[in-house]
Amino acid sequence: MSNPDSELDRRLRALFGGLDTGTDFDARLMARLRVESQTDAAERAIRVRQEERERYRKALLGLQSWRRSMLRLLTLDTLGITLVLVVVLVTAWPDLNRDVLNISLQYGPYIATLLGVLLAAVPVVGMWAEQTRRPIRLLASSHRFTR
Amino acid sequence: MELVRAERRDEAIAQLLPAFRRKVFGLAYSFLRNREAAEDVTQDVFIKVWRALPRFDGRASVSTWIYTIARNASLSALRARRPQSSLSDPEAMEALQAIDPAPSADAMVDRAALLRLVDQLPTKQRQVVMLFYVEEQSHEEVATMLSMPVGTVKTLLHRARATLSAAVGM
Repeated sequence: MSNPDSELDRRLRALFGGLDTGTDFDARLMARLRVESQTDAAERAIRVRQEERERYRKALLGLQSWRRSMLRLLTLDTLGITLVLVVVLVTAWPDLNRDVLNISLQYGPYIATLLGVLLAAVPVVGMWAEQTRRPIRLLASSHRFTR
Repeated sequence: MELVRAERRDEAIAQLLPAFRRKVFGLAYSFLRNREAAEDVTQDVFIKVWRALPRFDGRASVSTWIYTIARNASLSALRARRPQSSLSDPEAMEALQAIDPAPSADAMVDRAALLRLVDQLPTKQRQVVMLFYVEEQSHEEVATMLSMPVGTVKTLLHRARATLSAAVGM
């Protein structure tokens, strides 16, 4: 008498034991992988280009922000404060550097004139900077001629 | 892992394929009960494995990782295709009969009857039965494939066997 479980096992094994994919499965998969591999390389190249573009944009933004902050510093107040500080320093501590004092006494009028010119130039430089400010171009775009 | 580190994913897949193709196909088939759909899912699983290989950190075993991908892919495919087919559908019968292309008339009747009985089992029992008999897998392997404890697999298999034995009059 056969063991019922082993008989059932045998029949189930016969039913499912040979379950497998079609014969061309591996070939189809490898073909798909080749396509994927090419797509993968193309996507990687696009990603690298995008990263480079982003890096360039950030660098450009950084540069523009530096220029703006420099222009912001270039005000009458800043120059006035600088002048006062220089005068205070030179007056309060003449023994520190006799050469500086001598130069300032000797060239005082010229220095004052130069400062005056600089003070007068500040609004002009500011106006020029405002007028020449242009939107940032991330990449050199091709020129299109339209009629 | 060395092949992956060496950026030789195609070779890694070529090594994984013979070891896991039937297992992944069996797992997908146990969910989908449709040969074509299971093959499509199996292909997708290996494509996903190929894509994800560089990110595989080796914390889990390769088999656990692949079975997880296979389970998720099968469940997604199952959700996407409605209504569900059954093992006793003509298509499913044909697919399973393709295993033995020239069975006798009696064997075909037996096989069809047994398929219907397996199909009527609760989902988990049916899956365990199918996976256990595909490639003679161990309880542990089936447990890994279905992400369930070994004890549960044994219990489900025992119940399924009891039901099937009673039904076929053994």
